[in-house]
Amino acid sequence: MKISANNESIIDQWKEEPAALLGVLHAFHDRDGYLSEAVIRDVASGLKIPLAELYGTITFYHHFSQSPPGQSAPRVCTGPVCCLNGSAQLLNALKDQGATAMACAGRCDDPIPVLKGHHALRGTDNASLEEKATPLPARNPGNIEECIFANIRIPNRAKFEGYRDSGGYLAVDKMLNEMSPSQVLELMTQSKLAGRGGAGFPTGVKWKAVAEAPGNPKSIVCNADEGEPGCFKDRAILDYDPHAVIEGMIIAAYATGAAQGFIYLRYEYPQSFALLEEAIREASEAHYLGDGIGGKEFRFTLHLRRGAGAYICGEEGSLLNSLEGKHPFPRNRPPFPVTHGFNNLPTAVNNVETLAAVPQILAKGPEWYQSLGLNEHAGTKLISLSGDIEKPGNYEIPIGLPLRTLLYDWAGGPKAGRSIQAVTMAGLSGGYLAGDDLEITLDDPCIRSKGSFPGAGGIIVYDDSRNMVEAAHEAMAFFAEESCGKCFPCRIGTERLTERLARDAGPTSITDWNAEVDDIGTTMMATSACGLGMAAPNITKSLAKYFPDQVTKHVQKSP
Amino acid sequence: MVSSQSSNITLDGEPVSFSAGETLYEIAKRQETIIPTLCYDPRLEAFGSCRLCMVEVDGIRNPVASCTTKASDGMVVRTTSPAIEKHRKVLLEMVASENPDIAVDPLRGYASQELGTLVDDYRADTGRFKGRQSGQSFQDDDNPFILRDYDRCISCYRCVRVCAEQEGDYAINIRNRGFNTQITTEFSGTLKDSSCTFCGQCVQTCPTGALADKKAMRAENDPGEIKKTRSVCPYCGVGCSVDLLSKDDRLVGVQPAMDGPANQGALCIKGQFAFDFVQHNDRLGSPLIRNEAGELEKTSWEIALDRAADGFREAMKTHGRQSIYGVASGRTPSEADYMMQKFIRAGFGTNQIDNCSRA
Ligand SMILES: Cc1cc2nc3c(=O)[nH]c(=O)nc-3n(C[C@H](O)[C@H](O)[C@H](O)COP(=O)(O)O)c2cc1C
Ligand code: SF4
Ligand code: SF4
Ligand code: SF4
Ligand code: FES
Repeated sequence: MKISANNESIIDQWKEEPAALLGVLHAFHDRDGYLSEAVIRDVASGLKIPLAELYGTITFYHHFSQSPPGQSAPRVCTGPVCCLNGSAQLLNALKDQGATAMACAGRCDDPIPVLKGHHALRGTDNASLEEKATPLPARNPGNIEECIFANIRIPNRAKFEGYRDSGGYLAVDKMLNEMSPSQVLELMTQSKLAGRGGAGFPTGVKWKAVAEAPGNPKSIVCNADEGEPGCFKDRAILDYDPHAVIEGMIIAAYATGAAQGFIYLRYEYPQSFALLEEAIREASEAHYLGDGIGGKEFRFTLHLRRGAGAYICGEEGSLLNSLEGKHPFPRNRPPFPVTHGFNNLPTAVNNVETLAAVPQILAKGPEWYQSLGLNEHAGTKLISLSGDIEKPGNYEIPIGLPLRTLLYDWAGGPKAGRSIQAVTMAGLSGGYLAGDDLEITLDDPCIRSKGSFPGAGGIIVYDDSRNMVEAAHEAMAFFAEESCGKCFPCRIGTERLTERLARDAGPTSITDWNAEVDDIGTTMMATSACGLGMAAPNITKSLAKYFPDQVTKHVQKSP
Repeated sequence: MVSSQSSNITLDGEPVSFSAGETLYEIAKRQETIIPTLCYDPRLEAFGSCRLCMVEVDGIRNPVASCTTKASDGMVVRTTSPAIEKHRKVLLEMVASENPDIAVDPLRGYASQELGTLVDDYRADTGRFKGRQSGQSFQDDDNPFILRDYDRCISCYRCVRVCAEQEGDYAINIRNRGFNTQITTEFSGTLKDSSCTFCGQCVQTCPTGALADKKAMRAENDPGEIKKTRSVCPYCGVGCSVDLLSKDDRLVGVQPAMDGPANQGALCIKGQFAFDFVQHNDRLGSPLIRNEAGELEKTSWEIALDRAADGFREAMKTHGRQSIYGVASGRTPSEADYMMQKFIRAGFGTNQIDNCSRA
């Protein structure tokens, strides 16, 4: 079919780029405010994608609209923290502008985020909505040494000059002059740095696998999708220290032999997008990206891509499919991205926080990084703390820090007159901890011993005024909304659990209710095809464990 | 790579050898070990979505999908256990809960009984896990061939995959996500307005009858058992194997033979849906010739063939042998084609012979 001249130039501009589809779709979405049928037809023929497939893929993403008012209509965060802060009322107040709800937009430390076109506003009511910078992480009261946040408060750090003046890119310089790729791999393995995106896989081991895997070009993908509710740490890094992430990616590329990189940024961070675009431009001008980096025969190009509203696109297989322009279902594993990643070639997918730690580790050594942890634990972890707590925000903790220290000494404890009823782990994915289990230390083995996991490090606090069944319902509704719909246990299970937590369906006998919810959860955990469906039942399992009385009251109350 | 050592896994306690690339499901199938599946079609790339085919592998915490897991040397695999059977039953109860009911007429399609059979085998309680229904039937798609009864859809995407991988038409895809997924054409239109060729393969792979053969369904309420008779599609020289469905000796539908050597379960619109001529009132039951008044009337084969031969002789006599041109039907088998060219070449002495299916 003939492509209209109007659309041809945009398509031509993108056609030969790697990971073109998201770029093209955003270009049209930005131009028109929505994706018209004519545009979709033209993109399908321009990029040679079957029309039905492209149409289906577009409907997968929450933020792509196919009709006006489209992009300009406000989207109001109704995530777990914002709904404690009155997001339902705000959504209602903006209804006349065509407002719709969106999942947690990653600003739980400064609610309520509202997206309007490319403007990320925040405010608790219509009158107070304003565009405001991401809150800068506070220093911890004990003056405990940091890694990622050590330099983040230096003014102008987000700019190349400011970064350079505060020691930035020295790690790359040093590496290029003094180290072989295998030495870098060795050093990363020694540091015991593990993935900070949720799965905790040792970074050095991952990079080594990419380095050794056959096939070129290899890729480094920075996972900046940060979709887990209650997580907003990557946003702080990207907004205040973007060059640290770029430097981490350059080091990863050198170590693995990758020639190209992608930053996959969630749609809900338009400010970060602009900052990253600028940082990439600066780094290219300074010859840290492109051909002949550091005067060596080392080439690394970096591409920035925006997601379009899908939590599952943070899962690495789904992310890679999304980048490749395919329907963003997770991939079957094995094979893993280290051998079959972007375009089926070796790829290291790493979280923003993981990559930001890399230059520091290279500069100060693996022993230094390891020593930052408490007891036998290595390194630090960013925690996004939000909900019913005096000082919400991002904190960099030494791994192994007691949860109590973080909650009470660092973050000021619960609001006056309140006590802490429960906290979540891993945003929502780790479910709740409560009672005696609040006496944990923040490290993988300890958290896992309570049946949960640290994940990406989001902790949401619920005080004693909250109804935990309602909280669990909001949480499960999120997983149901974000389930990709590929595998049966998660597609159906998240829906059925949501209905039962809302009492829209399900038994009214508490014994039957518990048996149904437990059976669904057990089968989801054991048989789901990816982490979303495996983790979602942590919500109902921990609810049943810590709050059986609230559950009984919920099931037995008259409708 | 040729390895001198043979590779083995232990399958339910028995050592079994395998070749590189084989999946656990394929090995089990070869051993005649039955593993339940819903999203699986042996002709398609394994997808791993229904999770019913899960098996336990020593050293791996969660069960794995046997359809997507390749065997590796030394794996110890159990295809069943009390935990696995419980998961399978719960999964089937979950699947059953998304549809209005499970029983459908087998005339709907080749695989239409898969879900119902499993639900029965596992004695799954279809009333458990009640809740919202998934999928919405497309009532307004008035094409005469394919019923799009998505109320019964379980989002296995076999239809989408067969259309892409087997037929190469990419006519249908998946709209939305999670529990709201829905099979769709571009812009949610009708099949007629899409690139669908009405090959019917999506119908025949659908494990629930959500996609159904409208033509065969006309006989749903006819008396009699469904009888299947293996035959060959009469339309073209490919020779697709078909199973003719009949009730009381009346042809009511056609299904592709999954083991047909030429088609492996594929058919085109003609072989699949265009069988009404067989029992049509207008179909010729005896030869016809024109009478003096130019009207067609019934006659015997002798008289009809004599009349045709006279015509040929007359043409030869008046216009010469080059006035004869033979075109064999694309539906004829090779033996008949041979006879035809012999008839033209030896009978009339011309090489003007062709076949309509050479395009
Ligand atoms: C449902 C789901 C969502 C995820 N979302 C993210 C995300 O937003 N950011 C991220 O870095 N990792 C996310 N992950 C983990 C990634 O799959 C992957 O493990 C990670 O990006 C690897 O980087 P790392 O080793 O540096 O942690 C998610 C995983 C799942 C199952
Ligand atoms: S677990 Fe959920 S999100 Fe993951 S593949 Fe299955 S349906 Fe998709
Ligand atoms: S009938 Fe054939 S072409 Fe049409 S949707 Fe089904 S599989 Fe695709
Ligand atoms: S229509 Fe049938 S084959 Fe297609 S997804 Fe639904 S149940 Fe599966
Ligand atoms: S047959 Fe393996 S997951 Fe469906």
